[in-house]
Amino acid sequence: MIFIKIFLIVVLSIVFLLMAFSSRYRTYQRITVIFFYLFLAYLILFPDVADKVAGFFGIGRGVDLIIYLAIAILSLIVAVLYAKVKINERAITKIVRDIAIMKSRECK
Amino acid sequence: MIRQTLEDLKKVRPNDLIIVVDDGSKDGSYQRACMEGVHLLRHIVNLGQGAALQTGIDYAKKMGCKYVVTFDSDGQHCAEDIEGFIEILRKDEADIVLCSRFLGKAENIPTLKKYFLKIAALVERVMTGISLTDTHNGFRAINVAKFPDFVITQNRMSHASEIIDLIKRLKMRYVERPCTIRYSDYSLSKGQSMMNSLNIVVEYILAKVIK
Repeated sequence: MIFIKIFLIVVLSIVFLLMAFSSRYRTYQRITVIFFYLFLAYLILFPDVADKVAGFFGIGRGVDLIIYLAIAILSLIVAVLYAKVKINERAITKIVRDIAIMKSRECK
Repeated sequence: MIRQTLEDLKKVRPNDLIIVVDDGSKDGSYQRACMEGVHLLRHIVNLGQGAALQTGIDYAKKMGCKYVVTFDSDGQHCAEDIEGFIEILRKDEADIVLCSRFLGKAENIPTLKKYFLKIAALVERVMTGISLTDTHNGFRAINVAKFPDFVITQNRMSHASEIIDLIKRLKMRYVERPCTIRYSDYSLSKGQSMMNSLNIVVEYILAKVIK
């Protein structure tokens, strides 16, 4: 049990450090990330707490609650990323099109 | 093949502006398409057929063209059919003329493809209320001067459905005319596989949901 806890804490910390020190976040986003990190670390160290919260919501185990939440959050992230890809694609289209028109030539 | 198509076009339509959009091809089509009097455009990366059509339309508008005829480069369309299409636009009887391979004589149309296209047309009819016999045909004549909002945003293959949407949204008057389609081995090998239509449907629905 202790090994898996250490492993999870290490992985979580690496992700946290990567996120906290990348400059593309606003202050409120960074604060959210910090609280989220503390919350997850707390759950790893004291898994019984998750069971209690799960019981409050009528879900059997804390692990189940975390899986449900993870799926929901990941789906949301996929949707956001998809929208961002679409925006990028539109920008690329515009750039490529403008270059094509700029460099157009009439063959002789 | 592209040279043959362009030769035909130049012979039949000597006074028209011929625009070729190369969608980032790597097989030397760009060099081969360079013939006298042809306006040559190139996407530096591959974007898709819808994007290429829109690039051509943008360029045509910039050159002051009133009417645009979209024409496949694989030799499946006939340059002789263009005159009849443009005539309808000139007489202002419609704003967009679409080609239907089922009204005209289609040479060697594979049976499976035939029924497949009919189903596509039926789906389109149910979804938009616009009744066409052939929705996925690259041969169209469009009055672009009258419709500055006619902009294709679907880069890949779902632009055919998007055009039907545009017809509905912009309240364009549309007619279908027969045209000859030549199914050669070349055009069949270059055409999209029918399995790809599933991707098109998904792309189309996603575009509707996300917009």
